[in-house]
Amino acid sequence: MPVSSVVVQCLEGTADSVAVRISAFTGVEIQGVLPDGQIVAIIEADDIQNEVDLVSKLHDVIDVVTVRLAYHNFEDM
Amino acid sequence: MELSRRDFLKASAAAAAFAAAGAPLLGSNNADAAEAGIKWGKAPCRFCGTGCGVLVGVKDGKIVATKGDPAAPVNRGLNCIKGYFLSKILYGKDRLTKPLIRKGNKMVEASWDEAMTLIASKFKEAIEKHGPDSVAMYGSGQWTVFEGYAASKLFKGGIGTNNIEPNARLCMASAVTGFMTTFASDEPMGVYDDLDLGDTYFLWGANMAECHPVLFSRIIDNRLKNPAVKIIDFGTRRTRTSQMADQYIKFTPQTDLALLNAIAYVIVKEKLYDEQFIKKHVVFKKGKTNIGNGLEDKFKFTDDPKPMTFDEYKEFLSTYTPEYVEKLSGVPAAKIIELARLYADKKRKVNSLWTMGFNQHTRGTWVNNLVYNVHLLTGKICRPGENPLSLTGQPSACGTAREVGTFTHRLPADMVVTNPDHRAMAAKIWGIDPKKIPEKPTYNAVEMFRALDRGDIKVVWTQVTNPFQSLPNLNRFRKGARKGDGRFVIVSDMYPTKSTEVADVILPSASWVEKEGVFGNAERRTQQWFKMVEAPGEARSDLAQTIELAKRLGHGNLFPYKYIEKEMWEEYRQFTGGGKDLAPYEAYVKSRGLRWPVVNGKETLYRYAEGYDPYVKAGEGIKFYKNKKDDGRAVIWARPYEAAAEAPDKTYPFWLCTGRVLEHWHTGTMTGRVPELKRAYPSAVCEMHPDDAKKLGIKNLQKVKISSRRGTITLPVDLNGRGKAEKGNIFVAFFDETKLINELCIDAYCPISGEPDYKKCAVKVEKA
Repeated sequence: MPVSSVVVQCLEGTADSVAVRISAFTGVEIQGVLPDGQIVAIIEADDIQNEVDLVSKLHDVIDVVTVRLAYHNFEDM
Repeated sequence: MELSRRDFLKASAAAAAFAAAGAPLLGSNNADAAEAGIKWGKAPCRFCGTGCGVLVGVKDGKIVATKGDPAAPVNRGLNCIKGYFLSKILYGKDRLTKPLIRKGNKMVEASWDEAMTLIASKFKEAIEKHGPDSVAMYGSGQWTVFEGYAASKLFKGGIGTNNIEPNARLCMASAVTGFMTTFASDEPMGVYDDLDLGDTYFLWGANMAECHPVLFSRIIDNRLKNPAVKIIDFGTRRTRTSQMADQYIKFTPQTDLALLNAIAYVIVKEKLYDEQFIKKHVVFKKGKTNIGNGLEDKFKFTDDPKPMTFDEYKEFLSTYTPEYVEKLSGVPAAKIIELARLYADKKRKVNSLWTMGFNQHTRGTWVNNLVYNVHLLTGKICRPGENPLSLTGQPSACGTAREVGTFTHRLPADMVVTNPDHRAMAAKIWGIDPKKIPEKPTYNAVEMFRALDRGDIKVVWTQVTNPFQSLPNLNRFRKGARKGDGRFVIVSDMYPTKSTEVADVILPSASWVEKEGVFGNAERRTQQWFKMVEAPGEARSDLAQTIELAKRLGHGNLFPYKYIEKEMWEEYRQFTGGGKDLAPYEAYVKSRGLRWPVVNGKETLYRYAEGYDPYVKAGEGIKFYKNKKDDGRAVIWARPYEAAAEAPDKTYPFWLCTGRVLEHWHTGTMTGRVPELKRAYPSAVCEMHPDDAKKLGIKNLQKVKISSRRGTITLPVDLNGRGKAEKGNIFVAFFDETKLINELCIDAYCPISGEPDYKKCAVKVEKA
């Protein structure tokens, strides 16, 4: 199962509410919400396709500005 | 509590993200444990021209992890979504692993010796019977610096032909000629730091959100911190970029020429220009007009620049009133005036960014000139946070194609074959007779494949590119390659492509971290990496392939190196003084890239600017010192609006524009191998405006037949896609090898740059 981490940039003042919404997605684990509107999240899925689908879903969440990839491990794939 | 390896991996992932987000202390202490057994190495990303830094994790000889490189200034630890697929492109199931030779209609496995013996015999035979201009190399902006340099040295300095071109002719050539005609030196004065420091961003024909997402994120981050930041997206198609922009300005294709002249008109009329800057740093010129479109075989064009005064330039602009240009472009006159004032606002730090919308244009050089005009009139150039910045599409279009100079007319570092001093310098460095390098350029990319079709070129070798999918008017060139009569096509690639289909020999190539390399990105940053994993089967680097041919043709003496990359770099570096200076190889091994000119170990942020560029003397302020013939000044060009080579009419009533989508890169050779990407965007669609579809009675996802004067394809219509075509326009991406949209494109090109126009031709759309 691949593991990756992303940094989600939110519109000003929306990071806490975005974090609540995206933590409801199966496979997304919020690691922290930073004061400058960034959320650090872990993405876990059965395969890379589902990982990418999750990242695309994050991108479509209201008040999310960008989603960028920090780390990706797929050693057991 | 006992922690599993998975817990460690998650801790490592979180730590990397916190560090990239600027909060490294929030990472867990467990992160280091996940690194056990993984060896990390640095490399620039393999995809676009942004040049993001990646850390590649290798375990047991295989890539098992990647990270955004936190030490990389370009992307600061974060990659775009394509980062998920970086390693997967190396592990596609149908990777080429053995040389293949055509026997009848079959491609049969062969040894390297057999394949290279055959290739060398074909080269020798063609050269003997038809001369050195009957053989050619067609390379790439994805060549490493070494691969491009070796090919150029072999063909120009060994075989004695200027028959070498990169696919960068299809994407960056107009940017090059724009730089050369305005500043007499290729590549930008600004850097990516401008994306953080500016407050006004004009995007012209650039879908940055999809095609340069990391750079677009830097602008978006800037806007989040500074509410004054404005993004204005000029386009002929609504994209994800348009959605994020403050303003989207739609215009009729080709009228960017008129719009930029109208913006200059307003700036001049309202005296919004920087008079002191113009007096000190600018000259005015005009060139030939009605210059043709390169549609005829063996088309030749030479411009005839004439000086003009500022008053004469004002007179030239007088045609381009906002009212006149509103009629041409569809952009309201009041909007043109508003945007011209925004460009000239002295309180604003203004940047222009562009890619293929400008470059793939029958007047690509002119439109590049015209955007520089606006920056030169307002003096918003060579300063932190305010610059024009030409973006690139391939990872080393700048470092290899442009800086090494793998075009027919070029030698390294802005030098050209037509200049005897430049030929002499190249010959001295290469240790050859200067007469060996021919003084006349031969064919640009389109002309090279026209020559293959005619039979003037007999042998062509393509490396790291897929011309038999990516050329315009593709039917002619695909047929031409298989006409026989001595024609012989060699294709080096990682995977089977539309080009390997027409090949006589296919050679399996190593890619990215399967070899040592150097790439150069769009902000003049040169980045080095080492080989980290073995290539599969018998695949070899293109560098090794080229040197093998050199040996078999008796030119092995041109490549006398032991540590090939390092020694070749030090040789290449001898070309690069005087403002294009490169550092010793070791400096790139140690750094996350350096932006040239690198003088005394120090990189340069802003070219031509005192305090930044070591070639600008104290007191000079700004000096365009590479343009010696105009006394260190840049050129404002009077370049008129001229119509596209082919425009919609009654029979073919739509404009066709082609381009890229986020999921696929260029012709899909790599991204098409990633099942996830293939599923996400499996095949090309025809983006169309719903009103146009309604008029034709076409429903969403219904199949349509699209035809131009050159070809026909059938595709489903997408009315709800990510991109939205404007009325009268359709858009089709060119990655899909089962739907060759380039068969419809016209092979018209900019007479100055030789770059074809993939953004404009006339088509009709019918129910299939």
